Amino acid sequence: MTEVLFFLSAIVAIAGAVGVIALKNPFNSVLALVVHLVALAMLFLLLHSEFIAAAQVVVYAGAVMVLYVFVSAYVGEEGETWTSGGRLQRALAFLLAGSLGTVLLIAMLGSGLRGLADAGELPTLEAGFGGAAQIGELLLTRYLLAFEAASLLLLAAAVGAVLLARRREDGIAEGPRVLAVTDLVPSAGTGSMTEGTRGTLAARAMEADRLAERVIAERTSAAKKAAEQAEAKDGDGGGA
Amino acid sequence: MSSTFVPMAETFAVETWWVQIIKGVIIALIGFTLIPAAVTVERKLLGRFQHRYGPNRAGPYGTLQAGADILKLLGKENFRPAASQGFLFYLAPILAVVAAVATFAIVPLGEVVTIFGQPVGLYGIDVGIGPLYVFALGSIAFYGLVLGGFASGSKYSYLGAMRAAAQLISYEVAMGLSLVGVIMITGDLSLVTMVEYQQEHLWFVLLQPVGFLIFVIAAMAETNRAPFDLVEADSEIVAGYMTEYGGGGFASFYAAEYLNMIIAGAIATTVFLGGWAIPFWPDAPAALGPFVVIFKTFLFVFFFVWIRATLPRLRYDQLMSFGWKILLPLATLNALITAVVVVAI
Repeated sequence: MTEVLFFLSAIVAIAGAVGVIALKNPFNSVLALVVHLVALAMLFLLLHSEFIAAAQVVVYAGAVMVLYVFVSAYVGEEGETWTSGGRLQRALAFLLAGSLGTVLLIAMLGSGLRGLADAGELPTLEAGFGGAAQIGELLLTRYLLAFEAASLLLLAAAVGAVLLARRREDGIAEGPRVLAVTDLVPSAGTGSMTEGTRGTLAARAMEADRLAERVIAERTSAAKKAAEQAEAKDGDGGGA
Repeated sequence: MSSTFVPMAETFAVETWWVQIIKGVIIALIGFTLIPAAVTVERKLLGRFQHRYGPNRAGPYGTLQAGADILKLLGKENFRPAASQGFLFYLAPILAVVAAVATFAIVPLGEVVTIFGQPVGLYGIDVGIGPLYVFALGSIAFYGLVLGGFASGSKYSYLGAMRAAAQLISYEVAMGLSLVGVIMITGDLSLVTMVEYQQEHLWFVLLQPVGFLIFVIAAMAETNRAPFDLVEADSEIVAGYMTEYGGGGFASFYAAEYLNMIIAGAIATTVFLGGWAIPFWPDAPAALGPFVVIFKTFLFVFFFVWIRATLPRLRYDQLMSFGWKILLPLATLNALITAVVVVAI
């Protein structure tokens, strides 16, 4: 059963990887990459690394590839295909890919494929091998420095993304501005749910109504006064 | 095959292989039976909430209406728009429904019982990664929505798919973080272990009330339920990603949606409401387990319908800022405080 599953997922993984570069439509290439990543997750499962498998699907297939799908669906429909580069670019691509492939092949064959040779005498695995508990423990003891460095890098990337994506009100030519906590609170009168329920908008509308009424009242009284004065003047004139 | 090298499905199983196959079929059938039940419950309740009768023609009290609808949909002709991409168009609903049914396998309906001398766990699989399995399959199901929207070749579907992508990513984070507290207290990711912990101690709804609230809200958003149903907001984008589907494709998306709602309720039941445990009756017969879980799950279904009948749909920016600026910091704070308390005690 394990062998069947292995070859099934291995074939699907390779087919997906070939699909990424062979398909013309970028959207389909992205989908082929998703298939490849899910097949890799299957291989992780066969290696008892269920946590890594789940993380692979959640992080790569679920989060990273979603972004790719997003972008290629937005702009990729009539975008460039891999054949549209210049002749030099294509030659360079084949050269680089070829040399990388050679290095990988040397590494793989250099190991003498020992994994295949002693498939029958695998070490017995301790309980909980590859589980979340064991990986967590390793991350916080043996690989603590690398783990913390990676999280610091990710944090910097997240902060950078927030800063870059921030809405600029008066064009791009804006000087450096410190992001304050108050920026997270929407300004009054933007029609948020809170304003709707707490009555800020309604209160503003009523205030405007009152103001309008007052202005109208003032204007009518002023007009009335002017009319009265005119009438009085007329009366005076009539008397004289 | 050496005994030390077994894939996940075999690692945590207590049964022989043929029991697993029979069990898998039965659990899938339970899932597919609960879908029309949930549809009926929703339509009847919505009717009541809105001062109408709801379906009342087919069968007693209209209980056969959902079944009749499914038969009607499956009998319809399968057509596709000229602008759609054939393969992806047909793949999308299949992905959605397969991922939903596979997620249902993880819901523990009861403990391990002995049936005809065979030990049988009343759940599909008890994986050691628990909630992560749900999230992994959730991201597969997500491709069902996005492919459906993209392959339809329609603007409405496309808008629905884009909304789905943004919404699912936003609320998945808060949903995952809301469970971290529970995981830290239990010290294990297995859902069966979580239920056993709650049987011995307190239900997590009392220990983790904030986590519970965040989970239920995020689950409503994840399953595209009102008031978070912008993905298929009828008044704006017809039906979102499933606009162009009819017949079987539409039925599959519809079924996946309701099954996802049931699963959200079942996971909330398992993690926060003690799973198959009955309060003040610690040695209840194990055969009652599945009924208790389904009863509690339908309490959640009732709640979801109630909310749908009560609240209006959010605006898109409200949805996003609520997810990122309220739910996520709250879930993080909850996880932090829980961590401090767990270490201190």
